[in-house]
Amino acid sequence: MLPLVSLTLFLPLAGGLLILCLPKPAARTVHGIAIASAALTLVGALAMWLQGVSGGGFSLVEELEWMPTIGAAYRVGIDGISLPLVLLSAVLFLVSFIYASSLRDRPRAYVALALLLETTAIGTFTALDGILFYVFFEVSLVSMYFMIAGWGHEDRQRAALMFFIYTFLGSLPLLLAILGLYLGSPEPSFDMRVWIANPPLEGTAAMWALIAMLVTFAVKIPAVPLHTWLPAAHVQAPTVGSVILAGIMLKFGTYGLVRFALQMTPEAFRDAGIVVLVFGVVSALYGAFAALAQTDLKRLVAYTSVNHMGYVIVAVAAAALTIDPSVRAIALDGAVLQMFSHGLVTGALFLLVGMIQDRAHTREMGEFGGLLKTVPLLGWSFVLSAFASLGLPGLAHFPAEFQIFLATLGTVPAAVVVILGIAIIAGTFLKALRETFLGEPRERWHAMPDLSVRELLAVAPLLVLAVATGVVPSWVLAIIHRTTSALVL
Amino acid sequence: MGRDLALLIPEIAVLLTAVGALIAEMLRRPRAALAVAVIGLLVATGLTLRLVGGTETTVFGGSFRIDGLSVWAKLVLLPATALSILLARVDVAGTAREGTVYSLLCFATLGALALAGAGDIMFLVLGTLLTGLATFALVAYPDTDPATEAAMKFFVFASVTTAIMIFGLTYWFGAAGSTLLADLPGMDTMPMAIILGFAAVIVGLGYKASLVPFHFWAPDAYEGAPLSIAAYLSVVPKVGALFALAQVVRDMPPESGWTAVIAGLAVLSMTYGYLAALVQENVIRLLAYSSIAQSGYFLLGIVAVGSSELALPSIILFAAAYAAMNLGAFAVAAATGRTLNDFGGLGRARPLMGIAMVVFLLSLVGIPPLAGFVGKFLLFAAAIDVQFTWLAVVAIVNSVLSLAVYLRIIVPMYRRGEAATSAAGAWPGIVVVITLSATLIIGLFAEFLLGQPMV
Repeated sequence: MLPLVSLTLFLPLAGGLLILCLPKPAARTVHGIAIASAALTLVGALAMWLQGVSGGGFSLVEELEWMPTIGAAYRVGIDGISLPLVLLSAVLFLVSFIYASSLRDRPRAYVALALLLETTAIGTFTALDGILFYVFFEVSLVSMYFMIAGWGHEDRQRAALMFFIYTFLGSLPLLLAILGLYLGSPEPSFDMRVWIANPPLEGTAAMWALIAMLVTFAVKIPAVPLHTWLPAAHVQAPTVGSVILAGIMLKFGTYGLVRFALQMTPEAFRDAGIVVLVFGVVSALYGAFAALAQTDLKRLVAYTSVNHMGYVIVAVAAAALTIDPSVRAIALDGAVLQMFSHGLVTGALFLLVGMIQDRAHTREMGEFGGLLKTVPLLGWSFVLSAFASLGLPGLAHFPAEFQIFLATLGTVPAAVVVILGIAIIAGTFLKALRETFLGEPRERWHAMPDLSVRELLAVAPLLVLAVATGVVPSWVLAIIHRTTSALVL
Repeated sequence: MGRDLALLIPEIAVLLTAVGALIAEMLRRPRAALAVAVIGLLVATGLTLRLVGGTETTVFGGSFRIDGLSVWAKLVLLPATALSILLARVDVAGTAREGTVYSLLCFATLGALALAGAGDIMFLVLGTLLTGLATFALVAYPDTDPATEAAMKFFVFASVTTAIMIFGLTYWFGAAGSTLLADLPGMDTMPMAIILGFAAVIVGLGYKASLVPFHFWAPDAYEGAPLSIAAYLSVVPKVGALFALAQVVRDMPPESGWTAVIAGLAVLSMTYGYLAALVQENVIRLLAYSSIAQSGYFLLGIVAVGSSELALPSIILFAAAYAAMNLGAFAVAAATGRTLNDFGGLGRARPLMGIAMVVFLLSLVGIPPLAGFVGKFLLFAAAIDVQFTWLAVVAIVNSVLSLAVYLRIIVPMYRRGEAATSAAGAWPGIVVVITLSATLIIGLFAEFLLGQPMV
């Protein structure tokens, strides 16, 4: 049997190393290798998808000795929570490489960094060892830092610095929590499966570990009030950086919230569930209101991420608070599907905003108007993505948010106020659509070209998947549900 | 006696190497001195390998220890000295007494090894003096005003602190009636004597390891000295002194409260080191303050000595990691320049040198999967294991501060601009390649070290 997970995990890294080893490759070669490695990675993810996951525990587990003296090993595997995120990463990176294939400014370093980032993303989702998880979690920061600092917009150095220091500070408490779990285990080991099966900490120690993890993941998600790095990083990041940052790296936080906080300190999470829930509600509403106030399209999309991730926090908190396993399954189904949908939809939105910026060199909504007539393909793609983002039935976010609200209603009815967020986000996008795409076309944008083949190839797969997930969510939910329904906390 | 000497073969080899290099210098053959020194140190390293996996024992009536600390000190410090000598070649090639530099470096390393295996207070004094005397001369070697001034400061500071240490150690001798560290637990009837003696050891070894508040000499000495000597000072004597501290606290009675003192020094060194590094414009001074802070990290492991099984492995592993990444950073500086401006555009002009520097600095921060991460990770684990979670938290906050410090070098490296190149020749590049490999290998395959029985 092929080590499917490891192959998929290290394929991008191998592609990156190949690019670095070639003596003075042409830009076309570099992009070709990147797209090929990302496509092969997607094939690997699809192969995993076809194999499916078993009910309890992890599937396709691969294990290799690493540091046996301290109980650390190379352990990877998937379950219904991580597999959709692996697939999402593979898809988003592939379309990002397609979109970036026109880049001519130091393409070699750029592509190598992005490929390294892809390996760390898939590694974060598949790692089953505490140290391994942390390694991938941190290395992703380094490559993202260099992407923002090297290819971002005007004020990139400061934004990159803020991003790196902020999220590095944020991730260190997780290191403490991992050490706590390790030292608290009866037989010291970094095996995450052991930590999940028998949560090693209890009482105050578990609560401290939980607090440490919550800080880490709240920065990453980001939850209000630890979100301030996000708009700065997004505004300065190159388009692909934003797609990856919002589409995948924010999921490190929500994934960690489920995998670590919920599964490894379940008792403490139950005790603190209400607090987490409140943070989720505040995040969702704050993100929505902040989005409403933006005039810069990219900042607007960035703040809708805060809103969407807020729902995920609410769902995970509801899953911790409820005592009914079926409600918990619904809540987690919603949470994981929301992560998956958000990756597709926000990825598409950031790509489209990037395409607008490539053409107009501005992202201010007030500068545009009537773009739907000038660039219909781009315009309608944006309309579709915006509708998906605001939770229109038949598109990706609807089934996810529906399940989240359903589970919340069954657990903490008061928290359903969060549903207000949907209305605000709807208002936000409708305002943005009116100002940018409707009305009379302006003289200065008459010559704006519509989507090229390259751009279409980048956006179309995301839109197709967003529709497919909205219409037939069961193709993803089947995988997710197999794990969430068997989850024992 | 024969058994004792057999166990000391590596030290004897270092001594012969130092003498050999000196003889070559007297014959006016500096290149031969270089070859003798480097080959001799590598042979000594090889001779140490057969001690790995042996049982813990002592020689000379318990006054010198053959244990994990002393064996690994040799395996780390001897190659580190060889690399320093390669770097020194750039600084001193063609000068009047080139060979003496190589010889003195070997003598200083011998002192550091004496410290690392110290089982007796006389070895503490011997080691401190031997490294001290050799390094004063090394710092002063260029015979320029800054170097002379640096050496003078270094010398005065060292003399006073060493004198205090010797004075304080007389209390231990008086109270215990023995100079062996192993007899320390026997004097629990005289708590004041223990405390006074320990305070004196902290002063003496604290200066050598440049712990705050005994660090004042370090930035000046590093800045005035030839770059290779600064690199050497930041690694070899420091690690020797920290290992000696670990040897001392192994025998300290727990009720004397020494852990609180060490923890306090750790907090001071880490925090002050990085805060001061934040405002430096000179890369060498920045690295000097960073090395002060890194000493503080070592103390997280020393706090746990005697109570946690992770303590000694974490100290040893971090020493290896620190030697690799710190020497690497100095080697890049040797090939580039001494000010932050010199690093502008380095990453664009010389990509490989740039990547290497990024790896060294990120490893110093403790970012996985590099050597510094594994070392710090184990140090944190050791501290938490002995209920010093708060100290681990302080260390973690300082890691964030350190990221800000090291990014001050990384950020300009990728600006557009012309990077300075010093006419340093090939040696720094070779040192960079070796230390870079070590930084990556220690990070990814730490088990090679951890799996050894004596760690």
